Amino acid sequence: MNDSEPLIRWGWIGDHAGELADYTGVHLRLGLLPVLFGLIISIPLGILCHRWRWLYPPVLTVNNILYSIPSLALFMIFVKYTGLTERTVMIPLTLYTLSVLVPNVVDGLASVPEPVRQAAIAMGFGPVRRVVQVELPIAVPVVIAGVRVAAVSSISLVAVGQLIGQGGLGYYITRGLQLDFPTPIVTAIALIMLLALTTDALLVLAQRLLTPWSRSKVTTS
Amino acid sequence: MIRFDAVSKNYPNGTTAVDELSLELAEGGITVLVGPSGCGKTTTLRMINRMVEPTAGTVSLRGQDIRDVHAPELRRGIGYVIQHAGLFPHRTILDNIATVPLLLGWSKKKARARAAELLELVGLPAEMATRYPNQLSGGQQQRVGVARALGADPPVLLMDEPFSAVDPIVRAELQAEFIRLQKELHKTIVFVTHDIDEAIKLGDNIAVFRTGGKLAQFDTPERLLAHPADDFVAGFVGQDRGIRRLSFVKAGEVPLREGPVLTTTTAVAQARATDEPWILVVDDARRPLGWVEAAAIPQGGTLADATLTPLGHTFSLVGDSARAALDAALLSPSRLAVGVDVDGAVIGVVDAYELSAVIAVAKAEAAAGTTDGGDA
Repeated sequence: MNDSEPLIRWGWIGDHAGELADYTGVHLRLGLLPVLFGLIISIPLGILCHRWRWLYPPVLTVNNILYSIPSLALFMIFVKYTGLTERTVMIPLTLYTLSVLVPNVVDGLASVPEPVRQAAIAMGFGPVRRVVQVELPIAVPVVIAGVRVAAVSSISLVAVGQLIGQGGLGYYITRGLQLDFPTPIVTAIALIMLLALTTDALLVLAQRLLTPWSRSKVTTS
Repeated sequence: MIRFDAVSKNYPNGTTAVDELSLELAEGGITVLVGPSGCGKTTTLRMINRMVEPTAGTVSLRGQDIRDVHAPELRRGIGYVIQHAGLFPHRTILDNIATVPLLLGWSKKKARARAAELLELVGLPAEMATRYPNQLSGGQQQRVGVARALGADPPVLLMDEPFSAVDPIVRAELQAEFIRLQKELHKTIVFVTHDIDEAIKLGDNIAVFRTGGKLAQFDTPERLLAHPADDFVAGFVGQDRGIRRLSFVKAGEVPLREGPVLTTTTAVAQARATDEPWILVVDDARRPLGWVEAAAIPQGGTLADATLTPLGHTFSLVGDSARAALDAALLSPSRLAVGVDVDGAVIGVVDAYELSAVIAVAKAEAAAGTTDGGDA
């Protein structure tokens, strides 16, 4: 790398502000939509695994095998079917979230105390209502803990998508390397970290709003 | 009301939880199912709302086989109180209590109004309505559990060791509250406990189960203590069942004597002249103030100048049992139990030896019961 070139040129950032904002938006979409899709798949899958425990070990194994496949290989597999599109990046990222989200949904449902489950049955909740109105809401803190991990890792993984031309802010990393120009690289890394941290903070806030009951202090009179 | 006809529950691994149980539970009373762990009492309870399905026999509720009713629907008509309250942690106290009305499709407003009523009924302040279960003590949670079970005013209430997870003081409080509530509500209650004292205290009828899910005896508490059906029941109700039976003798039937009772205005000379080891000092309305030992009577003046030894506790001739009288005698410094009327005025005293005569009478009556009143 060129030693005389400074790590960051503030002027460049100012000149590219609009473009940076666009790429940040794309990055956010590529990083977070997979988490949303992952959640949509994990909740029913987790409920099934919780209900029929024999299902859980094979599901877990498949998820972990998927997770162990390098993202580059997965991109190449999907390029055949979905081309050099955003979908090719989002499908692998969605599959990766499952290895975190499915166990958290299962653990969350298992965190429902047995007396609570028994009480729900005894009060006359049918099986579906019991899951929706009692068990899932109680599982929320554990599920959100999983969503936080999945979201942060997904946001940082997006950059790899640049290998097929769909990497969000990852674009600036390859660009900086090609031009031997560190400013875009440093800026992109800083923005990706900022996105991850902000998303994480918002998820913590969402949990507080969704589960006022879990942080209420025990006060006995 | 609730009828078990040759009901058995066997599990695939070969264990029998309930063995050919036939039992009829009266409407409007508390039936306690009691026995050691593994005797099938909880299984029996859960067969009433189909949380456990019997392998043989039928359970019927008001003449209808409960298998003919859709299980969740059946359960909404039967209150259930679980051991550790089992409140929904994500719902406020008010919404917990409104659970069954909401399941039944009541409007939110009506369900919450009903819940607020119940909150008051179980003796909890209205400001608890918006709290969450983890902000309440164990005893308060259990009260909410009872209120939730009463949500849709079900005629039948099932209670599975509802008071066993709280400390003894709170338990006694909850039991007393429960007796008061039942007097008001007249529910048909099936109550499971492993604690024979609780069973005797609360039950109108008691079913004693033995290990293996067999019914050993079904009787009133009095008769259970007087005539245990066999050695198992006798052993289970305990060695001190003679003393327990005093619970069923009213304190009003205890013979009292006048005793050394003097007012505060009595001159010490007169007090000393009684030649009693202990003197009970009372005020003008004959309310007891304390005991004074003969040796501690002052040189001059009246008994108002004497240093009093605390009473311990008195027993009321209205409402208390002979057991309370015996306890008062054993704890009294003078060994004399002080009997008071509704206004708290002293009627007389009795010692433990004199109380033993009451036990003898109760025994004789019970013995007479075996010959001619056996099926009463």
